Amino acid sequence: MNERTNLDIFTDSFLPLLHAGIAFTVPLTLISFALGLVLALLTALARLSDFYPIVWIARFYVWIIRGTPLLVQLFIIFYGLPSVGILIDAFPAAVIGFTLSVGAYGSEIIRAAIVSIPKGQWEAAFSLGETRLQALRRIILPQAARVSVPPLSNSFISLVKDTSLAATVTVTELFQKGQQITAAVYEPLLIYCEVALIYLIFCSILALLQRQLEIFFNRYYTA
Amino acid sequence: MIEVRELTKSFGDTPVLRGINLTLEQGQVLVLIGPSGSGKSTLLRCLNVLEMPTSGTVGIGKVRLEFRPNSKPRKADVLALRRQSGMVFQAYHLFPHFTALQNVMEGQITVRRKPKNEARTKALQLLAKVGLAERADSYPHQLSGGQQQRVGIARAMSTDPELLLFDEPTSALDPELVREVLRVIRELAEEGRTMIIVTHEMKFAREVADRIVLLDEGAIVEEGLPEQIFSQPREARTRQFLSLLMDQSTV
Ligand SMILES: Nc1ncnc2c1ncn2[C@@H]1O[C@H](COP(=O)(O)OP(=O)(O)OP(=O)(O)O)[C@@H](O)[C@H]1O
Ligand SMILES: [Mg+2]
Repeated sequence: MNERTNLDIFTDSFLPLLHAGIAFTVPLTLISFALGLVLALLTALARLSDFYPIVWIARFYVWIIRGTPLLVQLFIIFYGLPSVGILIDAFPAAVIGFTLSVGAYGSEIIRAAIVSIPKGQWEAAFSLGETRLQALRRIILPQAARVSVPPLSNSFISLVKDTSLAATVTVTELFQKGQQITAAVYEPLLIYCEVALIYLIFCSILALLQRQLEIFFNRYYTA
Repeated sequence: MIEVRELTKSFGDTPVLRGINLTLEQGQVLVLIGPSGSGKSTLLRCLNVLEMPTSGTVGIGKVRLEFRPNSKPRKADVLALRRQSGMVFQAYHLFPHFTALQNVMEGQITVRRKPKNEARTKALQLLAKVGLAERADSYPHQLSGGQQQRVGIARAMSTDPELLLFDEPTSALDPELVREVLRVIRELAEEGRTMIIVTHEMKFAREVADRIVLLDEGAIVEEGLPEQIFSQPREARTRQFLSLLMDQSTV
């Protein structure tokens, strides 16, 4: 064992770490973000509705989630809820926590994007005889989606890194795996740098995807 | 036929339209003139229900709707009335994420529920009519202002409204682009489209209008044939307004 060089330790731990990333970090991110986006859209629409109870529910939700630490939310869901009889496995508990977070922050992004579309676009759709829902779906949301891509990509990339918090609720994702390996080989600098490297790879791939998405959405605008 | 009775509109406590009465036969062109702030845009927007009238009755084609203060009309009634007229905006308001063709197909598909290929055929015909057949696949930002406004006209016609409304359709355009848009509108007039046009192009107004209405401070000051309004205006207000316009156009 003493013969092992740093390079050996690095290469030996790379696959287990990558595996933890692909088996837990990636699905945790993708599932939470997909569900979170749906929640964000619904929340944004609720906040723009003219039915006050719905507006208040949406505002209350955003207020709670944005005003409390994600780490504390995860602890409440995983360690707190069992005491009132609600037992949720670690992975779904993490998914719930991250989804609620993406939903709250994302709703603000989507709401701002919808509001930023000029009033004339609504009026042009109305003047054709479209209903509010048709105008929203066909005219406003496609344009709002384009405006939302950069800030939502930011949220997405933040989420990749935030999933490391799932380690605290016993999900053996990338960071948790890194801790386990460190405990065995006593090379914290090396292993945590390796963990960081894998996060960096994931985030870089996302940044490339963002670029493609922006090109796609900008196809009908001047560069 | 278009019939407007005792139409009023207030923004808060400020009255902007004070009891407008208008009748327009099918195929007629009415040109609405008047100083800035007189309520021309508000009147057009009330006819298209982009602005909710405070009181009065609007009848376009087969749809009549009475507005009362403090009581909202039913959404379906508003939609039905709105679908009787098409609006051409000063700033075009084309859908930037759609091509010219898609802009003209949109209302046919969502509102008239036409199959796509039928909508496309008709959209191409309309684009050809406004002289833009070969720009069907261009996005709005690839078109000049005059071209965008002609797409706007084609889009307003795409749902076959009884009435076309134009709110200063050439005011945002460079002088050399004004002509191409006015030519299209003139052709529509000759075809017998029913239209209400707000414009400051007096020469054009004279040629195209069956009737001219002068609005001031939310009320109709004078109404008549173009020759009468321009050569023998009855009201002092009208003379004032017209001479002001002449001054401006000679500056
Ligand atoms: N949404 C609004 N809220 C409050 N006041 C408004 C609103 N829209 C219009 N007004 C007021 O109503 C009056 C009439 O405006 P309108 O736009 O109809 O005039 P206009 O005749 O079209 O003028 P212009 O020739 O400058 O376009 C103006 O005094 C304007 O300030
Ligand atoms: Mg106006």
